[in-house]
Amino acid sequence: MLTSSRTQLLASGGMIIMLSVIAVFVATWFGPATERMLTVFFISLTAVVGIGVYSGNSGILSFGHVAFMGVGAYASSLLTVPAALKGATLPGLPTWLADVELTLIPATLIAMVFTAVVALAVGAAISKLEGSAATIATLGLLIIVHGVIIGWRDVTRGAQSFFGVPRVTDLVTAAAFCVVALLLARLYRDSVSGLRLRAGRENAIAAGAVGVRIRWERLISFVLAAAIMALAGAMMAHFLGAFSPKKFYFNDTFLLLAMLIVGGMSTVTGAITGAVVITLVTEILRRLESGFSIGVFDVPPIFGTAQIGIGLIILLAMFRKVDGLAGLKEWEERVLPGSTLIAQVAPPSVGAQDVLSGEGLTMQFGGLTAVDDVSIQILPGQIVGLIGPNGSGKTTLLNMLSGILTPTQGQILLGGRDLTGLSSPKIADQGIARTFQNIRLFTNLTVYQNVLVAALSTHRGKDAVARAQTALDWLDVMKHVAADAGTLSYGDQRRVEIARALACQPQVLFLDEPAAGMNREETDALMEILRRLSADLGISVLLVDHDLELINQLSDQIMVLNEGRMIAQGTPQEIRRNKAVIEAYLGTGRENTN
Amino acid sequence: MKHLILTSAILAALTAPIGAETLTIGTATAQTGGLAYADVPTMQGMKLAVEEINAAGGIDGATKIVLLEKDVRSDPAQTSIAAQELADAGVSVIVLPGDSDPALAAIGVVSSAEIPAISTVASSPTLPEIGGDYMFSNFPGDNVQAAVSAKWAWDEGYKTAWIVYSPDTQYTTMPLYFRDVFEKLGGEMLGVSTNTIGQQDFSAIATTIAAQDPQPDLVMTSAYEPDFPSMLIALRAAGVTSQVIGSDGIDSPTTFSLGDVGENVVFTTAGFATKGSPLEAFDKAFEQKYGTAPESIYSAVGYDLIKVIEAAVIVAGSTEPKKIRDAMADLENVQGATGLITYKGTNGMPVRQVSLIRVKDGGRELVGQPSPDANLIPAPRMQ
Repeated sequence: MLTSSRTQLLASGGMIIMLSVIAVFVATWFGPATERMLTVFFISLTAVVGIGVYSGNSGILSFGHVAFMGVGAYASSLLTVPAALKGATLPGLPTWLADVELTLIPATLIAMVFTAVVALAVGAAISKLEGSAATIATLGLLIIVHGVIIGWRDVTRGAQSFFGVPRVTDLVTAAAFCVVALLLARLYRDSVSGLRLRAGRENAIAAGAVGVRIRWERLISFVLAAAIMALAGAMMAHFLGAFSPKKFYFNDTFLLLAMLIVGGMSTVTGAITGAVVITLVTEILRRLESGFSIGVFDVPPIFGTAQIGIGLIILLAMFRKVDGLAGLKEWEERVLPGSTLIAQVAPPSVGAQDVLSGEGLTMQFGGLTAVDDVSIQILPGQIVGLIGPNGSGKTTLLNMLSGILTPTQGQILLGGRDLTGLSSPKIADQGIARTFQNIRLFTNLTVYQNVLVAALSTHRGKDAVARAQTALDWLDVMKHVAADAGTLSYGDQRRVEIARALACQPQVLFLDEPAAGMNREETDALMEILRRLSADLGISVLLVDHDLELINQLSDQIMVLNEGRMIAQGTPQEIRRNKAVIEAYLGTGRENTN
Repeated sequence: MKHLILTSAILAALTAPIGAETLTIGTATAQTGGLAYADVPTMQGMKLAVEEINAAGGIDGATKIVLLEKDVRSDPAQTSIAAQELADAGVSVIVLPGDSDPALAAIGVVSSAEIPAISTVASSPTLPEIGGDYMFSNFPGDNVQAAVSAKWAWDEGYKTAWIVYSPDTQYTTMPLYFRDVFEKLGGEMLGVSTNTIGQQDFSAIATTIAAQDPQPDLVMTSAYEPDFPSMLIALRAAGVTSQVIGSDGIDSPTTFSLGDVGENVVFTTAGFATKGSPLEAFDKAFEQKYGTAPESIYSAVGYDLIKVIEAAVIVAGSTEPKKIRDAMADLENVQGATGLITYKGTNGMPVRQVSLIRVKDGGRELVGQPSPDANLIPAPRMQ
């Protein structure tokens, strides 16, 4: 299923195909040298967009995907090199492989499948890592694959050049494969998996809390990216006719990443822009390398100018445009309207039927006990207020109940089902949704996408669009659907975050300081919304806030935490009179101190 | 201004003037990277020859030579691309890098474009064999060099040997040819070690050889810098006193600046400037042009490469690539800086002189310039 408007995708696809066809015609008109340059460009672009599928959507820069390009190149070449030549140059090859002689397309497809299988094994390990740890791991992958290719002499000729590959990648083949890769990448970006992955890129914790299984999505994109890299590798091998392991190592990684970074990692538009810019610059500089003359001056050959030029462009991009020339949006997303919501019947609210209870919850961080033996119970449809001074353990308790932290001791039950130790996406799917103390929106996704991804990732995505729409309506943020979440005012961001939680169709909603940063009118409006959530939809709410007026007016029950312990529990009236609470908030009176 | 630069760039790339009076030679050589140690001095020698020939009015007094240069960064893939660009530009001859691996990468291009190609200093006899009709070499073959050094060693009375080779390139497998010849002569191999190019920790190999009792009479390798100096230092540090035999890859200033460690190393190479020899004259001309003496034999070999092309063009009477190829394959006794060069009767691997050099007092001492017995030379094979 695709999550963006059909108009945008059609425009994007149409433009990709049109530009490619024009480029092919222009190059053919200029002659063979230009044709070959364009062929290399198409191959590079395929690889760039391949890396982009993983790095752009996950936000994890990968140094390792060029290794898959190498795997694809060797795997496909082993299938296409004439059997007689294989006999002479690779005497150690197993017979079944030595006798094979395929044409380009079947060999490429087999190489892509093979590479995808390799990537699945590698990706399963790497997808567990976050941020820079994952990036460094991909660097390790590049080095290991390079080492394996060099070491596996019987199959790869080691560090020596692998030659005699039929030179059958012509301009049209490269263009056609490149278009396929671009379309795949573009569709993946706005597929359900791509949207979830981008949500994870924007904020991993929040993505988990709305049901996104981020590792799984990373693995999908890792494998898809590897298959596209294998395609690029196979084309490259059959274009050059000869290559060595060095071809798929740091130099090309640098070149391709330069294209991706300069153009913009997260979009197909960026990949194309970067590939065009870097190709033009390197082609010009490479020609200048052999020396040239300006009027009366003769400039001698200077070798290495191309690399220096690319380096300078990267520096320039980092100083001027950190997100790359194309920025974070596809061109069609800037020009054409996004998804228009189709009026749909609002989904039935489930309402809460189950009691959520935490029993004897304890959380220790090393020697520090943040929450100590706290039990909590939220009845269906109830609004429970949780208050306490700063550092009293409120957010920690919320994090345990929502699966972000696993309690050191104690048990969490929802209607008798044990939720203790479940991951936050699973908890979200069980009907517990939340917001965060410091807003965690997917800032570079639109408001609609923020809410939609939550709906898509819970309850198997059933009625997702309708659920998203209802949630947006409820929080009165429908007017902002097309805006990027990060551009909204503080109060609107709070509301979008609640809408996102609501789109998960929860039984229980945790709101961590939802009124923080709101003025009185906004707070009052929010109060009204929360009251209706509980009254009309029957959703249970656990509310943490410092605004005691809000808590007092809304809550059926109030719980008070101090220094990790529950010090009081009861109706608002009871709590107002409770001595321990007064002490915790105001300190003990002078008469009790020595 | 921007326009001007762009236009000049495109002009520089596209307008290699090709007419009746010029011969365009495209060079796709390794001016940077691991093979630059060989290709940079080779290029200097080539330019000297081009200058001399053009100053005299061109080949046969009529055809001026133009060089169209590309750097391939010692990379096979880049060599294939550069060779294709040169073919597109319509050059008559293509010069390829000084190792058979990148040179092999251009096979497809040169055979389909039917342009003769010569590697600067690649010495693997398999290069012209696999490369086909249009691929030529410009250096004494590995098998010939190994036959010369093995024969010399046997005649010197060395009976046992140890070889260190790297399967990473064709060139670094030369010791395997040495083993064949040495065993054929009656010598005994005490052991074989392999190394990885660019991996300069030789302590394990050195200790293994030092632990032999008795140590081998000689250690033979075709490692080149930066590996060779490290290997030699490690061997001597571990107490290996055996004679060390190397190949043309160590014919560079580094080898002569190693001090005591380098003393007495013997290696094969493509020439030696005896008194009154053409090489002595070349060295003088080189010094005049560049201000310093050539740093290795490769410069003279580069000079020879242009002389070979000149001879072929004269015979062909044309700058047409196909005719040049046919003429080149038939050349006999072309006088180069290092001696006489013959292609006739070979598959593209030239017959040319091999010199045995000993490092003495930080300089070179000629051990001999023997012609090996044809029966001793092993057949070329892919390693």
